[in-house]
Amino acid sequence: MKVDIVVDARYKSCPGPLLALAEAVKKAGPGHIIMLLATDPSAPQDIREWASSVGHKVLNVEKVDETYQIYVEVLG
Amino acid sequence: MPKISIIVSSEKLDKLFPAVTLATTAAVMGWESEIFFTFWGLLALKKDYEAKDVSSDYKVYEDGLRRAVNSGAMPSWLEILEQGKKTGRLKVYACSTTMSFLGVKAEDLLEYVDEIVGAASFLGKAKDSDINLFIS
Repeated sequence: MKVDIVVDARYKSCPGPLLALAEAVKKAGPGHIIMLLATDPSAPQDIREWASSVGHKVLNVEKVDETYQIYVEVLG
Repeated sequence: MPKISIIVSSEKLDKLFPAVTLATTAAVMGWESEIFFTFWGLLALKKDYEAKDVSSDYKVYEDGLRRAVNSGAMPSWLEILEQGKKTGRLKVYACSTTMSFLGVKAEDLLEYVDEIVGAASFLGKAKDSDINLFIS
């Protein structure tokens, strides 16, 4: 998957990963894909909830060792 | 979009963190969000106030919280509030009565304060909230 922006929010607890992602989205354009790296176990579900609320799309979530790689497509 | 209103009546970190975390997360999710700081909660809005204590019942956890903030694992409570303010959807209200009995003036307050209001004004703003919390 082509990734436009990588946001490293590892070792940050809630709401750090979401706030870091929200900042990155401001700089991204429609269609851009952001990969958020997070170790907070609540991050995947929190990001899905946020995305469904604001209208972006979680494409995939992978876990590599202790790190979640959360792929988000910026829409509209 | 939904709306959340939070009333905070303590200036201690263990009350400020949940309040701003929920308020800012709501704003980042596109919700309308507002916090009313009253009684001792108002102290946290003073420019010269540095929030560094937790409530006396939870002193044993204070070092852990401080370490989490100092290590960067958690932003400070003001950094969380600031990010919520940047969305333009988080409003901060200061209680006028509390300011009066504590002798706090408008110029003593942080720039994040949108308005100084009384109880009736805040209730008017909060009455259509989907979620309302009192954190003390």
